[in-house]
Amino acid sequence: MSLPKRIAQGGRNHRLYLLGSWGLLALLAFLVPFLFAETFAPELFGNKYTVSLANVNKSLAWAVAILGLTVLTGFSGQISLGHTFFVGTGAYTSAILVEFFDWPYLATLVVVIPMCLVIGLIIGIPAVRITGLYLALITFGLAAVFPSIPKIEQLADRDGWNTGGSNGLRVSKDLETPSWLPTNGIAEFLQGIPLIGGMFGSDGLPRRGADDVYVYFLLLLVAAIAFLLVRNLMKSRPGRAIIAIRDNPTGAQVSGINPAAVKTIAFGISGILGGVAGVMFTMMAQFVGPDEFTTNLAIFFVVGMIVGGVGTLGGSIIGGLAIVFVPAWAGQTETLPIADIEFGAEFGPLILGVLLILLMFAMPGGITSGFRQVRARLVQIIPRAPST
Amino acid sequence: MDLFLARLFDGLGSGATYAALAMALVLIFKATTLINFAQGELALLGAYLVLVLGVEQGLPIVVAVFLAMVITAVFAAGLERVFIRPFDPSDHLPLVIVTLGLFLGINSVAGVIWGHGARDLPSMFPDGNLYSRGVANLSWVTVGNVATVLATAGALYLLLNKTKIGLAFRAVSSNLESSELVGINIGRTLQFGWALAAAVGTLGAALAILTLFLEPTVMLRVLIFAFAAAALGGLDSLGGAVVGGFVVGLVRSMGVGYLDFVPSELGVGAAVVVIIAVLLIRPTGLFGSEQVQRV
Amino acid sequence: MTILDVQDLRVSFGGIVAVADLSFTVDEGQICGLIGPNGAGKTTTFNLISRLYQPDSGSVDFDGTDLLRVPPHKIAHQGVFRTFQNLALWPGMTVLDNVMVGAHTRSKQSVLSAPFRFGTRREENRLREEAYAILADLDLAEHAFKPAAGLPYGTLKRIELARGLAAHPRLLMLDEPATGLTNAEVTELAELIRDVRDRYDLTMVLVEHHMAMVMAISDKVVVLDFGQKIAEGTPQEVQANPEVIRAYLGGDA
Ligand SMILES: Nc1ncnc2c1ncn2[C@@H]1O[C@H](COP(=O)(O)OP(=O)(O)O)[C@@H](O)[C@H]1O
Ligand SMILES: [Mg+2]
Repeated sequence: MSLPKRIAQGGRNHRLYLLGSWGLLALLAFLVPFLFAETFAPELFGNKYTVSLANVNKSLAWAVAILGLTVLTGFSGQISLGHTFFVGTGAYTSAILVEFFDWPYLATLVVVIPMCLVIGLIIGIPAVRITGLYLALITFGLAAVFPSIPKIEQLADRDGWNTGGSNGLRVSKDLETPSWLPTNGIAEFLQGIPLIGGMFGSDGLPRRGADDVYVYFLLLLVAAIAFLLVRNLMKSRPGRAIIAIRDNPTGAQVSGINPAAVKTIAFGISGILGGVAGVMFTMMAQFVGPDEFTTNLAIFFVVGMIVGGVGTLGGSIIGGLAIVFVPAWAGQTETLPIADIEFGAEFGPLILGVLLILLMFAMPGGITSGFRQVRARLVQIIPRAPST
Repeated sequence: MDLFLARLFDGLGSGATYAALAMALVLIFKATTLINFAQGELALLGAYLVLVLGVEQGLPIVVAVFLAMVITAVFAAGLERVFIRPFDPSDHLPLVIVTLGLFLGINSVAGVIWGHGARDLPSMFPDGNLYSRGVANLSWVTVGNVATVLATAGALYLLLNKTKIGLAFRAVSSNLESSELVGINIGRTLQFGWALAAAVGTLGAALAILTLFLEPTVMLRVLIFAFAAAALGGLDSLGGAVVGGFVVGLVRSMGVGYLDFVPSELGVGAAVVVIIAVLLIRPTGLFGSEQVQRV
Repeated sequence: MTILDVQDLRVSFGGIVAVADLSFTVDEGQICGLIGPNGAGKTTTFNLISRLYQPDSGSVDFDGTDLLRVPPHKIAHQGVFRTFQNLALWPGMTVLDNVMVGAHTRSKQSVLSAPFRFGTRREENRLREEAYAILADLDLAEHAFKPAAGLPYGTLKRIELARGLAAHPRLLMLDEPATGLTNAEVTELAELIRDVRDRYDLTMVLVEHHMAMVMAISDKVVVLDFGQKIAEGTPQEVQANPEVIRAYLGGDA
């Protein structure tokens, strides 16, 4: 068999290929929580690296935030260094509604989505005039402002609902696995499989990890829906318009596309995704605080976008994983065989910073572009002409 | 009245530090039409060098500040050569991203080396007040800050207008193509801009630390006001940066002081509002040239 | 029947008057050649009609609509489309997608419907089929799924034409479509332009330096020099006009 293997689009082989690759991905996504619910801790150079499910859950939230940034910066070409503003707004709103008004977590989306849409549109309107570096400057300012907003006395110390000020706000409502979801049964089943069962631990799910598995599936559902909607959008008329404005505004304009409207809408959509990511964060952390939404996190989102690949949807997932696990693992590394330096959590941003710069030099398209190059060597989809 | 004076002095003192950092930003912007998001962290590095040289090595503080300026200047020239020059200057996103990478990297290195505790730097200026009236104290530190910043602005003016490299710098920043034609070494000149900016930034940080404590996140708090000052001044005007710095300093101290409904936490918000308002109403700032609009 | 009516159109840049009180009309179904030496103001005239430039004075009426009251991005909605002398395509998109953007005004999907695919699938398929058919028509089908970046200049100019056709405009303005073509290809293009005019019910304004082509396919010709109209009439009339001969002396006619 010679490579790349050529597959005709829409043919039987193509369907098999799609089914196979998506099926594999779905299976993997399904197995992840059971792999990591029992603390999975491989050792390397004497350091223990844990992959906690909570961190996987956080990655899902940040993946959606980075997806929002991808729409805005990747597709619409507008730089934002302030996505924590949307994420923080979503997270706080959600936390307050759940804690003080006893809303179900997911129901808070009903408030958060329109709210972040409006904020996105409000920022998007001046952004039509203020472009490039200036927009970067303004959005950076928004990121710098956000942590001080929950500390405002009128919001922090009021009777009734409040933001909790500098201490943050703990949400006491737990997300408990509903009885119809047999996560424990599934875990026991997987553990019972000969040979590989051991990877899933033993004796069902650990008590503490059980609800994390449920949260994982909830977040996976939200993220999958978000990705699907954005993908549909980008493969249609408005998606083409967004990219057309980015790459050639004049050509777009004579084709009947309104640059101001499209760019503003892109900001709105990006804001929604940021807000949704905030709700997801509240669900997994059950806590919001001003120190969770710093300028550093806003820059991390940019890092995640670059690492994954600017303007690719799948890259957002890789980015989300990178900005959670790189700092987490840096924190767990105490010794390194190469040099006698004391390693620690401080190295997280350093590694991400270095990674960012290295990627800009070596692989500006991010990991996704590398992946695509490899894939192109293996399979080639021959597009099918539309029937007329 | 006393309260007014107190706020005036406070605004002038902090305004001076914003002005210094804003001048650094303007120097880079003039050189490369780039906003250097790592400028604050370069200055932070400079401040820690002052700590090492002045406190740990026991050099006289003025000498320590001067040496730190020289070292950060050399360092920044190296950064420009290695990380900035390879990129297409007209494509902003990769450059912004590189400066963000530098931001994360330098900030985290500072934390690793010097820890996260708050440190104090010895003052370059005498203790006590030049003038006191009720709650209003015009301290020597404030006077020193303002005087140093004005002197720096004057020195930069002379440097850019009277020296050969300064003139080359101005030529490059106003027209890249024709400077190349008359044989100016563009790369060198831009590198000079980066070095100069880092030195000025370090000075600004050394001044800022006189009223704040030195810790890895300190410059972030100053930087956002410096951005506002630079935007207000027009991003490519050194004089504008100085005026912008003082205006932002005063707006902050007066605004938070007099407008009771403005929570003091929102000082940063005031800076952002200044940036947005300026860019919307007058994108070239108070003193910037038209050229800036072509982004 | 007159469909495009340009009256006393004027614009200047600094001291240079690029278009000086230009008036001309084009009848429905006509191909109107707009010629003149380099810098005569032809492209500027297109830019004024498509609203990329704001005129100092004058009027542009298209089938009863005052185009000067229409914002640039609404011009296509009025049925007016143009191509660019220096191309305005999207290099990163496939050729097919480039052409599909041309059909923007003929599609209804919005940010509200598209993410949920509310009735967008059928429309999207229809647009794709149409765009592909246009490409096939212009001998571009083999390029449909390639990115536009890297294709030869002459091909890119034809892709712009295809994008214009996908919009189903009533008035299509072509700015130097024959650049980068061999003589044989120019003859082919001339035929193609007449052909699409008939099949798509178009009115056309054609800017082109290739005189043989302009004279062969234009129903009328307007000649510009230094922003001013120096002649107007049938190709025969214009070719015999002494002013025109003087303007082109040593030129590229
Ligand atoms: N945006 C502009 N700014 C300044 N001058 C312009 C601009 N656009 C066109 N011009 C000038 O107007 C004149 C006509 O140009 P143009 O319409 O491009 O000529 P052509 O007939 O070759 O298409 C030229 O002198 C050109 O330099
Ligand atoms: Mg022209």
